[in-house]
Amino acid sequence: MSASAPYANVLRMLEKCAPGSTVRLANHSRVITFNRKVYPSLPKFDDIEVGHIRKMVRFLGIDKECAKKHGVI
Amino acid sequence: MDLTEHPIMLTLQDAISGDGFLAGVTLFGRALVRKEDDGKWWMYGVRPAAIAESGNTIDETFLRFRNRYKEVLFDIAQDNNKFEDFKTEVERFFNEPDEEDERLWNNALKAIRSSKIAPPEPFAQLPRESPESKPSKITIERLDVEGKRFKSSDNATDIYALPNAA
Repeated sequence: MSASAPYANVLRMLEKCAPGSTVRLANHSRVITFNRKVYPSLPKFDDIEVGHIRKMVRFLGIDKECAKKHGVI
Repeated sequence: MDLTEHPIMLTLQDAISGDGFLAGVTLFGRALVRKEDDGKWWMYGVRPAAIAESGNTIDETFLRFRNRYKEVLFDIAQDNNKFEDFKTEVERFFNEPDEEDERLWNNALKAIRSSKIAPPEPFAQLPRESPESKPSKITIERLDVEGKRFKSSDNATDIYALPNAA
């Protein structure tokens, strides 16, 4: 398991595992909404450390097995 | 028995400028620290929950977490032109839970208090605070109001601490 994942893979995971989720660019971070919850602190890098993705998945209630299948956690 | 989840108490204070307002934000928060497979320390927010950061030492992890927290406040200020909207969004950020990390935080506190486990280095050197006398909360106060009195006793130092065992 790599310590980071390309942002493109995170986006693909969100499309498949969190249908209806939205991504918005704020000044410092990416803001992800899903399940009527807001995750406002995803880094704006091209590669995202897995710890950030793991926390986002847990917080937003995204299916962990689905996220694992996409290789981002 | 080793303690792998380290419960942390946070005190952070900021003055945040918005479009037409100045807000004072004081956080008494909670976070979990653990070493992950990538070899780094990770600090996962519990209150507020929607935040995480990493570092090679726990001090570095705290400083990066602290900076990311401040950036979230900056983004919320940028997105909300009225103080009342800023306050609502910051309160939402603070109150939206991560039940799993909250449960782990409480379990780690129980483990410390069971006296079966002493915190390992480097946590053993951290200051201790009582979660009961410092419950988690956030206060958001408008500072740019006429008649507002400022007191040096309102200042709070950035701290991360372990809950005491008593």
